[in-house]
Amino acid sequence: MWLDLALILIVCLGVVILGSSRLGTMIQLFAAQSLVLSATPLLVHPGKHAVVMTMGTLILKVFLMPNLLSWAIRHVSIRREVQPLVGYGKTLMLGGFLMGVAFWISFRLELPVRETSNLLVPCAFSVVMVGFLLLVSRFKAITQVIGYLVMENGIFLFALLLLEKTPLLVEMGILLDIFVGVLIMGIVVNHINQEFGSASTVNLTNLRD
Amino acid sequence: MGIRILLHIMVVVILSPLLLGITGKTKAFLVGRWGPPLLQPYYDIGKLFRKGNVYSTTTTWIFQAAPVVSMAAVLVSAIFVPFGSLKAPLPFFGDIILFAYLYGLARFFMIIAALDTGSSFEGMGASREAAFSCLAEVVLFLDFIILALLSKSLVLSEMVEGNILSSWQLFGPAILLAGVSYFLVLLAENARIPVDDPATHLELTMVHEVMVLDHSGWDLAYILYGSAIKLFVLGALFVNILVPFHGLPPVMQTIVFWAGMIVLAVGLGIVESCMARLRLNQVPQLLIGAFVFALVGLLVVLIKGV
Repeated sequence: MWLDLALILIVCLGVVILGSSRLGTMIQLFAAQSLVLSATPLLVHPGKHAVVMTMGTLILKVFLMPNLLSWAIRHVSIRREVQPLVGYGKTLMLGGFLMGVAFWISFRLELPVRETSNLLVPCAFSVVMVGFLLLVSRFKAITQVIGYLVMENGIFLFALLLLEKTPLLVEMGILLDIFVGVLIMGIVVNHINQEFGSASTVNLTNLRD
Repeated sequence: MGIRILLHIMVVVILSPLLLGITGKTKAFLVGRWGPPLLQPYYDIGKLFRKGNVYSTTTTWIFQAAPVVSMAAVLVSAIFVPFGSLKAPLPFFGDIILFAYLYGLARFFMIIAALDTGSSFEGMGASREAAFSCLAEVVLFLDFIILALLSKSLVLSEMVEGNILSSWQLFGPAILLAGVSYFLVLLAENARIPVDDPATHLELTMVHEVMVLDHSGWDLAYILYGSAIKLFVLGALFVNILVPFHGLPPVMQTIVFWAGMIVLAVGLGIVESCMARLRLNQVPQLLIGAFVFALVGLLVVLIKGV
């Protein structure tokens, strides 16, 4: 019951991130999503392993990464995604469609492991889809980073299925990788901004000598 | 049967403006004012009933018929919703369709009456109203589908009464999602604040209010009364969905239901006090968000298996 509630909350926060235009709000919503996410390992398999996962997620995704991203948007002083590739209403509608696809796929999927809740896989897929959509429909580098992080949250949910079978070292390695990725992206955003005067990734497609 | 219908309609007619009064009082209280008295909506409607009507020469009978038709439609819709221990007097198979389209009928008449005046402002309001209600109706029906799947019934009063208590234990999150999306529809249908501001009369930003600019006297009173009743009936349905009180003894049912209605009115006041009206182009986004919430709820119900 609590796991279902947490999973649905994670999906809904993903939808709200998809519909919001202010970068600050998006980062806070991502932090909230990660906060709910950090509780899920404890709900799936309570134990020492889960506690470590929860702590790792809490420190990295709820505190460090949102702060780093807020620092980055303060530094390049961008507040909102002015012109997304696809409008907000259309993105939301596409998100709804992709969620339907995600639920349908996971309904057809046969898993070798027994799942704790039959919502786990569909919700994981949905969050991955929402992250993907965010990644492809926005221009600003920061929004794309958030999309990537939301997608990773979905993958984290999926990995909960194998929580007991994966070694802790692998999980920690993944978290560290993401953190370094976000750190590098923060710096890259800064450089894009210095070079072109805006943080839009459209500039990166132009060839110059 | 006839007496029960009459009783139901009496309850709606007598109590519905009070809900607006409570909301108004809450809003005034939250900004530190005393505010108008609780019975102010009754005084407003009473004052309008004592005044005469003014009709523009360009209008036809449609303009005069619309307020009466829309008020009658929302009054009829009230008899499908249970109010606490007062059961719905006239339930029949598939009455959800009638319930939804009585509002459609009311809206249709208001829109053609607005177009009938030939005023460009009112035409603008009519087009906005039509566009937003298109989106709101889809969400309303998705919520109805969720409830119908959970209760295995297509009768509105059975959908909210039947086994919603046992559904809460199994499908709590799904019902919560349906409730949230239904609340957004409620705000949009009743032209409350994040969607439309019932207090302003600035033509360029209005949706619902701009359509009734040319109405006066009796007609305006019917329109105001009709919107109070609409808020009451849709609010009663909201309380019925979210508060599973149907297993309790009748006295408790009555108390819980009316307490729920008061909480809803206060809640509306709080929402209106702490939110600004959305920009017009963000309203469809809000309703699409409600649609996605309802869709997630439906998917959850389907995947969990009913």
